[in-house]
Amino acid sequence: MNVRAPQSNNVVIQSLTQIGNCGLFLLTLLMAIPRSFRYIRETIRQLWFVGAMSLTIIMVCGLFIGMVLMLQLYNVLSIFGSTSASGMVVALAVYRELGPVVTALLFAGRAGTSITAEIGLMRATDQIDAMEMMAVDPIAYVATPRFLAGLLAMPLLCCVFCAMAIFGGHLVGVTWLGIDNGTFWSNMTAVVVVHTDIVNGVLFKSLVFGAVVSLIAVFQGFTTPPTSEGVAYATTRTVVASSIAILALDFVLTAFLM
Amino acid sequence: MSQQRSSYAVGTGLFIVLGFAALAYLATQTSSVANVHQGASYTVDAHFANIGQLKERAPVKVAGVRIGQVQSITLEPGQEVADVKLKIDNNYDKIPLDSVATIYTSGLLGDQYIGILYGTSKKTVADGGTLALTKPAQQLEEMIGKFFGAGGVADNLGGTYSVKADFTNVGALSVGAPVKMAGVPIGSVQAIVADPVKLDAKVTLAIDKRYNAIPDDSSAAVFTSGLIGTQYVAIQPGGSPDALKDGDEMVLTQSAMQLEDLIGKFLVNGSSSSSSPSSDKKDAGNGKSSDTPAPAGKH
Repeated sequence: MNVRAPQSNNVVIQSLTQIGNCGLFLLTLLMAIPRSFRYIRETIRQLWFVGAMSLTIIMVCGLFIGMVLMLQLYNVLSIFGSTSASGMVVALAVYRELGPVVTALLFAGRAGTSITAEIGLMRATDQIDAMEMMAVDPIAYVATPRFLAGLLAMPLLCCVFCAMAIFGGHLVGVTWLGIDNGTFWSNMTAVVVVHTDIVNGVLFKSLVFGAVVSLIAVFQGFTTPPTSEGVAYATTRTVVASSIAILALDFVLTAFLM
Repeated sequence: MSQQRSSYAVGTGLFIVLGFAALAYLATQTSSVANVHQGASYTVDAHFANIGQLKERAPVKVAGVRIGQVQSITLEPGQEVADVKLKIDNNYDKIPLDSVATIYTSGLLGDQYIGILYGTSKKTVADGGTLALTKPAQQLEEMIGKFFGAGGVADNLGGTYSVKADFTNVGALSVGAPVKMAGVPIGSVQAIVADPVKLDAKVTLAIDKRYNAIPDDSSAAVFTSGLIGTQYVAIQPGGSPDALKDGDEMVLTQSAMQLEDLIGKFLVNGSSSSSSPSSDKKDAGNGKSSDTPAPAGKH
């Protein structure tokens, strides 16, 4: 474990070191994937913790995002008498941007922090070192299963989020505000394309975000100073770094995929 | 311990299934591959000379009340009429055979729907029957156009052939814009280049090979789908017995309408000022509706 950075006072040097270590850590993680197949049960357990346990917050947030988007769009579009287009705008906005980004932000807050805190406490209480003593590879047993679980869980969570947002939009638009049901769906289906919107928008973006958030969470956990203060800082850094990475990457990905 | 483990596995499995179910829902129900599902209903054909911006799943109404939806819109190869299949609820099976199906627009800028005006015939139209009397969508595009949706470019092109057309002005036409006949996309714009000798725009249209019976004296026009919509090329079939072939050039073309010119025409009666405020779209719309006898009004 050579991931602990040599101390330096220069902020630029420090951040560069951090990023470099993070990249090296990613390589270590990826190389440990074949070894971690032995701990497939651990991966499933982590998928349960980061994925299935995040479902509630993802579903509720998706529902409300869809509802509030539809409400706003209805008010604006009614000026132009084209409220029937609001379903289509909700779908496009959610598939292309809001779905992956909001899901990733929620995922960083809900699952990323718990991964960092758990691994950080493992390090603080010397459990990681104990594993090494017992010839159990902590990367293959602790880090990779969590990374893989985050990678797999994000696209699935994002799909659930988008479906709930469409449902929320339908609830407000059709059930409450009285947009025609057929027009709602026909406008949506006329514009949404499987390849550009659902594969590139929902699946690809959320896969990238899932990888980034899990990588940052696991990396921060592994490199935290083994003190209670260190764990607290590491958890905060996970959320801050993930949020910045998600939003910056979102711009880059959108520019590439457009 | 194994009990706990298996409960994780079950929960995780449920989570994965739910995720994939949501993905399947997004991909099939909210995207272009959505299939229509409905309760008990029957299908009626109607042929329209022009469907304008009518879309699949658009409502079918009688006296303003929804009785069904548009199931499919197809352009039969070699014909210039759009074949629209209407899916009508079984509760409304007493539609007289001589009823008139008309394409209306909800408001000036709204979406289009099909309104059925009942006739007087004792016979009713049956499943698979045809409503012979139809009124096409009003060609507001030629003047101002509708608001939304140039419609998608035809997606499943089974090979295309290229046709050239010269325009003096293509407006904001872009490569990839749809080529439509009777309102139905049949191809896309492949290239737009300025001709260095004739000093006009040479537009190459890629048209689906299925539509290989377009008369060679057909005309091409650049239309706008809406006040602020995207532009597309509309092909109006001519009467020649010979069909357009790959590499042919369309002689009759109509260039893009400039909104400023149009509004200038509307304002020609009243104001003496030569400045035509291009932002004043409402006025242009009102002037238009009073000029033409039957604009697409409220049903």
